[in-house]
Formats: sequence, structure tokens, C-alpha cells
Amino acid sequence: MAEFEPVLLANINRPNSFTRKEYEATGGYQSWKKVLSMDRNDVIDIVKSSNLRGRGGAGFPTGLKWTFLPKDHPGPIYFCLNADESEPGTFNNRILMEQDPHQVLEGLMISSYATRTSTAYIYLRYEYPGCNKRLQDAIDECYAAGYLGDNIQGSGYSLNIYIHQGAAAYICGEETGLIESIEGKRAWPRIKPPFPAIEGVFRKPTVVNNVETVACVKHILDRGADWFKSMGVPADPNNPRDAGSYGPKLYCLSGHVEKPGCYEAPLGLTARQLIEDFGGGCWKGRSVKAVIPGGISMGLLGPDELDCPLDFAGPGKYGCLGLGTAAAVVIDDQTSIVDFLHNSARFFAHESCGQCTPCREGTSWALKMLNRIKAGRGRLKDLDLLAEIGDTIGIIPGTTICGLSDGAAWPIKNAIKKFRGEFEHYIKRTNPDGYMVTDPVPVFETTAH
Amino acid sequence: MIRVELDGQQIDVSPGTTVYEAAEQLGMRIPTLCHHADLSPVGSCRMCLVEIEGWDRPQTSCNLPCTDGMKITTSSNSLQNARQSMLRLLLEHYHDAASDNSHRPQTEFERLVEEYDAQNKADPSCMQDQQRYPIDADDNPFIRIDLNQCILCTKCVRACSEIQGRFVWSVAERGDQTRIVCGTDQTMLQAGCESCGACAAYCPTGALADRMAFRAGKPDRLVRTTCSYCGVGCQFDLNVKDERIIQVTSAADAPVNGMAMCVKGRYGYDFVHHSERLTRPQVRQYLLQETDWRQRPADRGPWVEVDWEVALDVTSRKLAEIWQESGGQAMGVLSSAKCTNEENYLMQKFARQILRTNNVDHCARLCHSSTVAGLAMAMGSGAMSNSMQDIAENAAAILITGSNTTEQHPVFGAMLRQAALRGCPIVVADPRRIDIAEFAVMHLRQKPGTDVALINGLMHLALENGWHDADFIRQRCEGFDELQAVVQNYSPNRVAEITGISEADLLAAAELLCTAKPMAVIWAMGITQHTTGVSNVLSLANLQMLLGNMGVPGGGVNPLRGQNNVQGACDMGALPNVFPGYQRVDDTGISDKFASAWDLQAAEHVDDSNRALDQQPGLTVTELVNGGQEGRIRSLYILGEDPAMTEPDSNHAKACLAATEFIVLQEIFPSETSEFADVLLPGATFAEKEGNFTNTERRVQPIQLAVPAPGEALPDWLITSRLANQVLERTGRTPLGEFAAWRYAKAADVLREINSLTPSYQGITPERIAAGESLQWPVTDANHPGTPILHVGKFTRGLGKFHAVDYLPAVELPNDEFPLLLTTGRVLYHWHGGEMTRRAAGLTAVCPEPLVEISPDDAAKHAIANGDWITLESRRGTLHARACVTNRVAAGVVFGNFHFPQKGNVNNLTIGALDPVAKIPEYKVCAVRFAGSS
Repeated sequence: MAEFEPVLLANINRPNSFTRKEYEATGGYQSWKKVLSMDRNDVIDIVKSSNLRGRGGAGFPTGLKWTFLPKDHPGPIYFCLNADESEPGTFNNRILMEQDPHQVLEGLMISSYATRTSTAYIYLRYEYPGCNKRLQDAIDECYAAGYLGDNIQGSGYSLNIYIHQGAAAYICGEETGLIESIEGKRAWPRIKPPFPAIEGVFRKPTVVNNVETVACVKHILDRGADWFKSMGVPADPNNPRDAGSYGPKLYCLSGHVEKPGCYEAPLGLTARQLIEDFGGGCWKGRSVKAVIPGGISMGLLGPDELDCPLDFAGPGKYGCLGLGTAAAVVIDDQTSIVDFLHNSARFFAHESCGQCTPCREGTSWALKMLNRIKAGRGRLKDLDLLAEIGDTIGIIPGTTICGLSDGAAWPIKNAIKKFRGEFEHYIKRTNPDGYMVTDPVPVFETTAH
Repeated sequence: MIRVELDGQQIDVSPGTTVYEAAEQLGMRIPTLCHHADLSPVGSCRMCLVEIEGWDRPQTSCNLPCTDGMKITTSSNSLQNARQSMLRLLLEHYHDAASDNSHRPQTEFERLVEEYDAQNKADPSCMQDQQRYPIDADDNPFIRIDLNQCILCTKCVRACSEIQGRFVWSVAERGDQTRIVCGTDQTMLQAGCESCGACAAYCPTGALADRMAFRAGKPDRLVRTTCSYCGVGCQFDLNVKDERIIQVTSAADAPVNGMAMCVKGRYGYDFVHHSERLTRPQVRQYLLQETDWRQRPADRGPWVEVDWEVALDVTSRKLAEIWQESGGQAMGVLSSAKCTNEENYLMQKFARQILRTNNVDHCARLCHSSTVAGLAMAMGSGAMSNSMQDIAENAAAILITGSNTTEQHPVFGAMLRQAALRGCPIVVADPRRIDIAEFAVMHLRQKPGTDVALINGLMHLALENGWHDADFIRQRCEGFDELQAVVQNYSPNRVAEITGISEADLLAAAELLCTAKPMAVIWAMGITQHTTGVSNVLSLANLQMLLGNMGVPGGGVNPLRGQNNVQGACDMGALPNVFPGYQRVDDTGISDKFASAWDLQAAEHVDDSNRALDQQPGLTVTELVNGGQEGRIRSLYILGEDPAMTEPDSNHAKACLAATEFIVLQEIFPSETSEFADVLLPGATFAEKEGNFTNTERRVQPIQLAVPAPGEALPDWLITSRLANQVLERTGRTPLGEFAAWRYAKAADVLREINSLTPSYQGITPERIAAGESLQWPVTDANHPGTPILHVGKFTRGLGKFHAVDYLPAVELPNDEFPLLLTTGRVLYHWHGGEMTRRAAGLTAVCPEPLVEISPDDAAKHAIANGDWITLESRRGTLHARACVTNRVAAGVVFGNFHFPQKGNVNNLTIGALDPVAKIPEYKVCAVRFAGSS
């Protein structure tokens, strides 16, 4: 990895990296000026040929998403930058927005131009006041420089960017929940189809992309698709559905490591490389018990699965939900997986938006059982019930509108499957008299909060 | 078409059809808790999952559009398991505090739990066994809330926003703390609830339930019927148990309203079983005293309960005596817009055939006589030209003037809110900022009584800007030059001066209303109850003809009829100038037709000189009432009307009633008017008899016998028939003509007679109604499909006639002595004179007292606080009511209602000035002043 030159993080440590002056000193906004005279379809083609996949979690090909917009729509078409970074363990967007906001804006502007958007919203996480200030300052600078507003640089193209702050709900990161929230409504995800490209904000065609995704767009326009594809993991020729994992990626490393932080590397490094080469290994000389590969909704890698490549295809091969946000959380060998799962269940029960039956009821049911296990009243039977809930809720079994409860289900499924012995041991130890009981047990009063 | 296969059955469906709908078309029932055809799909309960061949996971059928060749499985083991899982998950929090639910019908949720055997399979260890929310903590008198039973299907939220346009319900919190809330976590009424009950009607669990029906038991039967409140004509099911109405429930296939209803229709039914119902005939004691019964005491004396034989004997004797002494011209018949077509037909037949007089009228005189007269002059037919659903769905713009639609025709008001939500611009022209103004793009607040100037001003601008439809005017209308000449004088400047509406607003409204095609005009009493009522109506007719908005979907002239059957009462000829179907009494051919049909043979000793029918139009309601004092009317036979409450200048009206020699009152309650009656005949409510009502859009709909009338009360058509037979006998006449007899075994026999004598009702036969047809007249033969839109291609009178009308000020305007302008109307929770609604416990609980709306300006000027009791006085009387300080009225204007009797009746103040043509009183404008506040 030594020869890799950081792309997205290249300038974050420069003094005043967040100012337009510093940004332009390193070649900023050259692509923006260039793009304004380009054919939109050429811009889309470049992004398509780069095979850039969305960095927000699902890894959907960005260029392809843009082509879903209706071709002859009279407008308006909206662009939503998803900056509602809420996945536990994830903070790469924050670093981009705080330290290099112009990079994000240039990517957003190019993406807006390519998608014929005149109004772009940055849906910003409420808990990021620093980002809010830096972004707004940067936007103001762009208006002052004539990079935003009406008839930009005489091109005839007009673009306005607005920051919309969320109100501290995980569900707003789901693209249709985000859209509802921008409309001023409760962020209950919409049923799809219609997808946002057809009916999004105010029922108009809408693109929703992640902060890191549009930042990559800027660099693809700077240096070309081939440069972008020179990094990462090529598509598996034997799997026609694999679009490959190209380009640089920001990995957030946290938990029980010596040097947590946000690190940039080409897609495809392994969990072990991330922990050892970047993070300085497990802290306090302990060993790794488990790693969350990409935010807790992705599930768990066991200690014998650390060679899992952290690209779009890798974690799935190890039973995880996917790469997610590439936010790795390391759990050391002195931490209880029961505690981990309890914590995870508490998070999802709190963040379930309450719309779909399986998610609302399933996440709270799971939490109640884990509360009971933690209180020393668990039964071995509960593990099967938990696994059953894990199998029942989510888009993947077809029972919810959005993917939130898949994210709730995966930690449950992975933890019970990969660490069943620890759960059984815990239950037997804490409930020696009752662990075999299968009769109904009185309710243990609790709330999800 | 798209072909799909469901469980092996093929079906062709139109594009956009969902899988759920396709299954419904095949008669399959896919389980769902959150979906209803009326509401937008949300797909959140996940019960309606189906499997699609080639798809890797199940899909919700409620929102999945069919695509060609789709192969769908609606039932499989894995789907059964998934649905069972959903129910088990819901049972985690569902909690019903009642230990025994045999007292009520099973809810949809309970039915599914049973069907999928989910209760037994649920893991009881994690079931929420306890109550999480307080039960029944909201003070809405109609809706009982138990959130412990809520499964968050959000049908209530969508029903309130999408059907009712009220946005009371929404969702708060998240995760398993998610719950439905009213407004910002207020009570329902605080959050602006209109108590329409839609939320409870759609609720699949009983979390929201009708309070009045709670623990009332399971109904023995459901009886489909038509509402007896306003003219919208909602249908619903009366739930009957032990011969009492225990609940009113929505009927999804009701032609006008579907599942929707208003608070009065859904919850105002308890008057039917009220303890004050008249159950036995009563006569004044003097009538039983053979010696001097001809001379009644000044105060009419005490009531004596008698049996029907005595009551009808006394009544017929007295009526026969007056008829023989003074002739029919000294007698009046007041029919009822609350009663059926059949009963109205019989009342006018009673007047014309038996009493030989056209002195028959009813309260349409007081509400829409100017509409009937004006539209007949302009177009030849005095009824709403289009249908409510048509306007709500097809209008490109809507002008609402003088109609407080959301309070007086609430279900149509809600449809108009839906129209606004679909983007149809609404302009409200009303002196008050009424509720529907919140949904309007413009509210024009004209001074009361300046409507002609406003409409002429709009037409002035239309002509000036070329927005008129020249082709329509040339081909289908006459009298345009005269109109143009008058309208020329109504420059924006002058109109602004008269109406108080700014020139800019006038222009903006004109452009919006005149350039959107089709544009529908809707009005009610704000237009009609003026001394210029006919002129107002003619102006609106002019406007719609000028713009070519007649005879097209989404346009038209649309007077909203007030009472449940005021349209039918007019149709049936309960008017002094027309037989049924608006056949004129002064047309000799028509008169001969009825004379022959109703021909009577006099006994030899009886003078038979006036065998022909009276061809002189008779007296109107107001003239008949006044006639008592003037001495030209000796008797009144009143059916279901309360002139002591509803006539203008009620002190004067009461004096006239007191002076009338003999009054027969056929009623369900001892109304205010009963004080002046000599005979009280107990009639039946809409739930206790059969017949038909005709709604505002000319739709004829049946009512059914659901419960027995209390005591000895009888259906009104039967009472009138019996009385008629007795009067015939006493006056020595026997039926001769084909329809002369009064032998009706059931209401349908009367309808057959109506069919025969009334061309526009000819095809509205008992058979077609019984077969479920919902017909809008004219229906000219047994195969005619009905007429949803009038004047298509040709006006009823041939050419539409423009009438050049000039603005005239109201008769009594404020001055130094009486500085305030009083206008009158009704409120959502009450109905007209309040006879029924004041005896509906819930309605009275929400609105117990008379209110007068006062602007903050006037309130400050007179040191009146919201809720103070105040007294208003006019030259004619005083009103005692609570002040409601609100911006709904402009400074200088006050608004009162006529729902409360005695000191609380605004008609103590109103003026008896009449429109010269229609004889409608000017309820909407008179001058008043404060008599001090306490």
C-alpha cells in the first residue's frame, strides 16, 4: 500500500484546506469550469465508464443511477446529497465536509450539471454543526466566485445549493426517508417503485448520492475513468452481476485498535491489513474477537475471517450484509458479544422509524429478549427466537419497505451463528436454574430507549 | 390491457392496476390491515405479501402494479408463515383491556389473528401483557381512543388527510414508541377535529371506535338508508339491535359519499330514540268539548292525549268545516323538506285535490326559492346542473359563494378540499372567512348583499379581456346585448367601492375564474336569502353562460340544497305554482290532466261547482303564516316544519301563528311551533318509514324501515292518507279519477302514482330503486339512464337567457342607531331549527349554546371578551348568545345562528323583507346593535 497516494484525503492536513483559495491552489474547480462547456452525456459516460459505485452503503453504480432519470423531463430535477451520516462507526463524510468542503461541492456541482439539476440539497446530519458551517462558508464563497447561482460562468447553466439539516434520525439516511424529510414530512421511507429517479423530492425526478461518491466524481473528471479504474478490485469475470470495486475508499477504523481514524486506500484491502497496517493492531496487546466490516448493520466477521477483503463483494462472502460504509469497528477478546448485540439491538429499536410492522415490532422484540438475557433470565430457546426474528425482518425476506431492519437483522444473525457458544455459555452461567425453561416467562418491563 | 395470472387464474387488467386490485377483480381476498381502496397505499403492514414468479422475494400487492405476463401466487406456505409472523409481531404490543369481546362485532384484526392462528403461536414470553396508554382519555364525545389496540396501520392518518382534508391525525415518536397523535399531541377537538368519524370507520382494530356504540352489542341487522340531515344525500347502514339504532356505519358502495360521512350523519342519530318523541296524538281540550269547540280559547288551552280515531275525527271535522265555510283559499298546507318524496306528493295532493287550493309550500321558500325561480328564468330548470363528484374531480377552478360548504354540506365540503389538494384552485367569495377559505387560493370578502355588483364586475372584466365564450353565447343563449349594456357600468373601480374588494383582487379572481375551463360555481343561502336573491342567482347564471361553462363536466350552476329532501319536496310540487315535476298550475292542459287523474265525485247533496283544480298560484310560506294575522288564512296543516323557529322576525311570525284559527302539526317532537298548534299528530323519523329522498344533485335514494316508530306514531304518508280519506268522507266526495283514491298500502304505491303523473320521474320506479339503481332526474322512461349533467347541448328552456340585473342594496342597512350588520347561518354541529340536533347528546355536548361571531375590532370597541354572554337587538327583537370573537367576520359584521330557541334564536332579529319574485326573506342582512354585555 505504500505507493498509494491519497486522493480524497490529499489536502485535509493543509492549513486552511477548507477555503476556496487553498482548494484552488491545488487545482480545485478546474474540472467544474471544464465541465460547464461539456455535453452532459459525455460527463455521464465518463462516470459510467469509471464504474464508480455509490459510497453510501449499497454500492449502486452511480452513472447507471443517473441514466434512470427521464430523458425529456421538463424539470425541475433535484439532486440530494446524502450527508446524513448516521451509521455507527462512520465518519468519513464528516472529515471530507469539514476539512475539504470544496472538494465535495465541486463533485456535487459536476454531478448536478450532469443530471440537469438546478437545485441541489445537502441533507446534513443534525449532529454535524461543524460541517454545516464549513459547507455554508464554502457555498457562500462559490456564489461570490460565480461558481454557483444563475448563468454560471456564462454557460447558461444555473445551480443553487441549499443545506437542509436533519433532526437526528438514522432513517433520514435512507434515500426516500431523506426525500420525505426534505419535503418537511416525517421521514417514513416510501414504497418503491416509483424510485426517486422517477418521483423523488416534490414528486419530481431526483438523484440521491453520498458525499464521498460525488467527491470521487470530481476526481474522475480531473483524472479520467482509466485512472480511477487503475485502483481497486476488478469485476469477477465469472460473476456477471459483479460491477467490480474500483477507486480509492475512505475506511473508518474504530473500536479496540491502537490508532483509530479515517484512512484512505484502494478498495479491496483486507480487514487484517486495515487493522494491522493502518490501525497499529488490536489495542493493549489483545487479540481481535470480531470486526464489524462496514457499520454495525453489516454484521460481524469472526476472528478467523479477518482476511475478508473490504470491497463491495468481500463481506458478503463471509455472511455479512455487505461493505456498507466501510466503517470497521474492532471488538477485542475481552468484550462480550452479548453486550455487543444488546447494544446493537438497542440502537435499531430506537432508530426504527415505526412504519413497517416487522421492523417496528421485531426490533423491539429482539431488544426485549436481549434485555432479559442480560438480566439473567435468558433461555436457550431465546436464541432460536432471535434468529427467527433475524430471518423475518427486512427487505431481503420481503417484509419491509426499506433496508433498516436488514441492518438490524444482520448483527443478530451473524452474532447468533458465529458466536452461539458464547451466548449459550452466558445464558447458562447467568440463569443456571432457568436456561432450559420453555414455558412462557413473565414480561420484563422495558422500553426501547 | 395487461394479462396476469393469479393462482392459476388469468385476468386482463388495465395498466396501473395493482396486484391487489387484480385479485379483488377475481373475487380473491388478500389479507391487509393498512390498505383500503380509498386511501393511498403505504405497504407497511406487510400482510398483503404475494409471490411473483421469477422474483426472489415476496412483494406487497397493495402497491405493486401488474405487468404483462406476471404470475402471482397469493397463498403458499411461506406466505402463510410470513403473514402469521406479521400478526405475531403485532400482537407483541396489541393489548385489549376487555376480557370479553362477545359484546361487539369482531374487528378485521381479530378476524385475521383467528384465520392465521397467530394468537396461539405467538411467544407469550414477549407479549406486551399490559396497557401502555391510558384508555379513553380523549374528550371527543363521538370517538373513543384506545391506543393499546393500535397497530399503526395509519389508515386514520390517511383518512383524515386524504378523505376529510383535516390533518388531525399524524404519527409521533419512533420505534415501538411510535403512536398516532392529534395535532401537536392535543385532544382531537383541539386539533381541529370535525368528528366526521372517518378515522374510526377505517380502523381495523377498534383502537378508534364509535363511542356511542361502545358496548352496545352486536347488531341484529344492518339497514341501508339515506341520511336525513343535509342535501348531500349520504347513504349508510343503520345498525339495529333490539329495535334500536346502536350505530351508524359506513357503506363503502354508497353512491355519493362512499365511506365518508359527517358528524351529524354518523353520530346524530340518537334523536330517533329521544324521550321527547311524540308517541300519541294530542288535541287541545277545547276540541273535545262539543259545546263550544268552535270558539277556541286565546291560549288554546291544555293538551289531551287521544287515540288516532279521535284525533283524525276532530281534525277532519274542523278542516271540513273551514273548507265548507271559507273554501280552500282560507287554508294552507306546509309540506316538509325533511319528509319523503311520497309524503310531499301527498301533501300537495291534499291541498290541490281535497282543499282545491294551491296554498301549499314548504321551507324551500326560505332557502332556495330564489334559485328555483332564477334558474328557471335563465335556463328552464331550477336545480343543480352537475354532480358533486363530477365537480370535485373535473373542475379546473371553483367559485364558492355564499356556501359554508364544509359545515353545511360537510361531505361535499371534504370533496372540495380533496379538489383543492389535487390542485384545483378555489375562489371563495363570502363575507365570512369560512373554513373552506383555508383551502382557497383567494378569499374575496364582499360586503353582505353586494353579490350582484361582484358578479357583474367579474363579467365586466371577462368581456373586457375577451375571456367570454363567444361561440357559446351566440349559439346557445339570448339576451346578451342587454346584459352587456348593464355589465358595462360595473367597472372595477365602481365594484370595489360597492363590494369592498380591491380592484387588484377582483382582477386576479376574474382572470383565474374566467380562464380556467371548466369552472364550477357553487352557492347556497349566502346568495339566495336576500331581497335580491333572484337577481343574485340570475347573475351567477349569466356568468356561467357567458363563460360557456354549462352542460360540461366540471362546470355548471350548482346550488347546494339545504335539507335532505328539499329538492324532492320541490320536485313533488310542494310549491304554490307547480304540480309535481314543475308542471305549472296555470297551464290549462296540465291542470286538466291532474283534474282528471284526481277527479272526485260529489255526493248529490254536495255543491260540486268547483270540480276543476285551482289554476291560480297559491300563497307562499311567509304569506301563509302572515295570513293568519291578516285574517285570510284560517287553518294550517303543517308537516315537519317549525316556522316559529325558522321564519324571519320570529316575534311577528309567532303572533301570526297565534292568530291562526286552527293549526294541525304533524311532527316527531313538540317543536316551538307546537305551542300554537291545536292538534299534534305523531309522525315517524327517516328510520321508521319507507320512501325516497332526492338529494341536491337530483339523485333519488331510498330510506328503509329500520326500527318501529315509538308508541302510536305512524309514517307520515299514512297519516296524511288517513286524514285525506276522512276529509273526503266529511265533505261528501268519493274518488273517481285514476289516481283520485287515497288507498296506499305502502310508500311504493305513492311512487307509482308519481311515476305516472311526473315526466321527469317517470323512470324512477320502485322496481329500479329496489334493484339498487341510483338515478338522477330527469329519468323519462323505464330505460332512461338518468341525467348527471343538465343542459348538455341545449338548455331545458331552449336558449339560455341572459338577464341584465343591476345591483340594489339590501333593505335594512346599518345606521347610527343600529350600527352593525347581522348575517345569519348555521354551524357544523347543528341542523336548522335544531329540533333533531339539540336532542342528539353528542352534538349538543360539542355545541350547547347559541354563538354570535364578533370581530376582534368590535369586541374591543364594546369591551366584549370571547365567551361573554351578550345581547343583540334589532328593531324587531333581541338575541341572547355567547360571543365568539373571531376574524371570521369583518369589523362591523356579526353572525348568528338559528339553532336555539327563544332568546337564543337569531330570527328574533332578522327582517321579513322579501324578494319580490321568489318571496324569500332577507335573512342575510339586517341592522343590529349591542344592548350591552355581561
